[in-house]
Amino acid sequence: MIRDIFVMSLDAMRSYKVRTFLTLIGVIIGVGSVIMVTTAGNSVSSFVRTQWNVFDPVGMVIGTGTSGVTPQLSIRSVSFTAADVEKIQGLPNIKTVAPLGIVTLKKVSLRNGFLKWESRPGNLMYASTAAILKIFNSELESGTMFEDGKNEIVISKSFSEVFGKDKTLKVGDTIYVQRIDTKTLEAKIVGILKQNTASYMVGSIATPDIICPTTPYYSTYFGSNVGTIFKRVTAYSVLLAEADDITHVQAVQDEVLNYLENGSSDAGQYKDKNTDFVIITQQYIVNRIDQVMSVIRLYITAIALISLIIGGIGIANIMFATVTERTREIGTMMAIGAKRRDILQLFLYQSTIIGLLGGILGIILGIVGSAFVVNLLNSSIQTLGGAISAGGNIGLSYSVEWFVIAAVVGLVIGVFAGVLPARKAAKMDPVVALRYE
Amino acid sequence: MSEYVIEIDSLTKIYKAGKTEFKALNNVSIKIRKGDFVAIMGPSGSGKSTLMNIIGCLDRPTAGRIVLDGENISTLSDNELAVIRGKKIGFIFQKFNLIATMNALKNVSLPMVFVGASRGDRDRRAGDLLEKVGLTNWATHKPTELSGGQQQRVAIARALCNNPSIIFADEPTGNLDTKTGEQIMELLVALNKEGKTVLLVTHAISLKRFANRVINMLDGEVTEET
Repeated sequence: MIRDIFVMSLDAMRSYKVRTFLTLIGVIIGVGSVIMVTTAGNSVSSFVRTQWNVFDPVGMVIGTGTSGVTPQLSIRSVSFTAADVEKIQGLPNIKTVAPLGIVTLKKVSLRNGFLKWESRPGNLMYASTAAILKIFNSELESGTMFEDGKNEIVISKSFSEVFGKDKTLKVGDTIYVQRIDTKTLEAKIVGILKQNTASYMVGSIATPDIICPTTPYYSTYFGSNVGTIFKRVTAYSVLLAEADDITHVQAVQDEVLNYLENGSSDAGQYKDKNTDFVIITQQYIVNRIDQVMSVIRLYITAIALISLIIGGIGIANIMFATVTERTREIGTMMAIGAKRRDILQLFLYQSTIIGLLGGILGIILGIVGSAFVVNLLNSSIQTLGGAISAGGNIGLSYSVEWFVIAAVVGLVIGVFAGVLPARKAAKMDPVVALRYE
Repeated sequence: MSEYVIEIDSLTKIYKAGKTEFKALNNVSIKIRKGDFVAIMGPSGSGKSTLMNIIGCLDRPTAGRIVLDGENISTLSDNELAVIRGKKIGFIFQKFNLIATMNALKNVSLPMVFVGASRGDRDRRAGDLLEKVGLTNWATHKPTELSGGQQQRVAIARALCNNPSIIFADEPTGNLDTKTGEQIMELLVALNKEGKTVLLVTHAISLKRFANRVINMLDGEVTEET
């Protein structure tokens, strides 16, 4: 009998095609938009994660700034010395440590002179050691790494074309870098880095134009806040380090902090007293991105869910109208033997079918629509160009759990939206219902 | 088993609207034999519809006792009343009351859905009944595609579907022209001859002649019985 009443519900819906279709659309769009939004969020989120995959997972940045729940790293102050680098390298579980100093350049030139067309304004130059390559996941495409103390540099692939394609820089070429203090230094290119796979969004941090040895290029006395240093000590704003194993990341973090804060370190002596030591790990960055992304996703998903609820209200609305319109038929059915339960089921099935069907069609819309939305995101990334275009495409990453959630919510909404109208129908007094015009 | 198919004893029905009370039925007692063709007549507001609603298990009396086919229905639950309506009573309405979304065959077999009959049984029975009312060729047509007389014949076939012992006809010719009305009445007479008890509620005096018994009502009371 339940099956027969189910079939009757289907028949009734088929008889009101336009009405059923319009009601369905509400649910389809609701479920579809939840899926589209969550999938887009998921896709962007995993895209951004790969973009921020700057270090290998065991990497970390050691610096000064403000610690706390959301540590802030300041690269303005310099406090880490070569002695600190050595000491930290000696700590257990540490694989590599590399200092990082930023050399602020005024310009780079092909020749040491006044030929302006062969000069370019300052580019990003990092002073470090060979270990930086490992920490940044970078590889040399050609040439070798520089030797400390020599006028040698390694440049990025994109920097090799800084003077134009016809003057592409090669290993063995010599250029001239002018620091912000106007001192010009000769620099022989000994290696060229492979194009970093990480996007330019963070590539500017992870892949500087030029990497050079600290001597002779780096000096704490240029452009930076020297603080309380009176001796001519080379000091860096940040250190890059790697743990020997993913399980040791936390331990290394603790050890390094312990070393830096116990007073025996140069950094502990030199750093601004108002700042703290801050260590940011790859995991921390990933977690932060996830946090930010999940907040954004929460909001847009909430908006999509609202549209699903509105779809449900649409069902309830149309069901009330249908019940009222069919009052005399309800009375008739009661007169010829329908129980209240039968009437309840008759209308509840209709709203449930709409919810279920809307959910299924909504999933299909969601699958197709998500691909479309991600495509759209990709093409808008292309048109934005520059900063984020080189990082490749956002991959379509379906958020499968939301398929289920959206479909179930659609179904539940269908059922709930039907309850009140169906109860209204079932509670009718047959005598009154039969008289209804 | 009693010779009476309907026994009504001191039936009273009071409608309340706020503080005012309206006595629709006042101490009505009627006994109807099996196979009777009874016309319940009276002007609007005489209580004849109320009486029919109560005998038809659509409504409950305020006081009094009513026995249908040997079963006291005065105290039954909604569900039990629904079962009795489905099995023992066939309704025919002035406005036919067919389900607009269903074709003739499905309309006729609808009462069998509510008693849980199988699809095959239903279609067979409905087919037979449509043949009986001369509408075999109209089985797949929806009510809107049928004339008034045809619709009423579908409704009669539906009323017969669960083989009830009592047929209730509430102004069955009210929406039909005289000639079609006559045909419908003849169909009811034929059913009566087959042994169905027919209760006809009407205020059309011309229909009196089809009944073998007439109950006149006025102001909630039986004024005259023939």
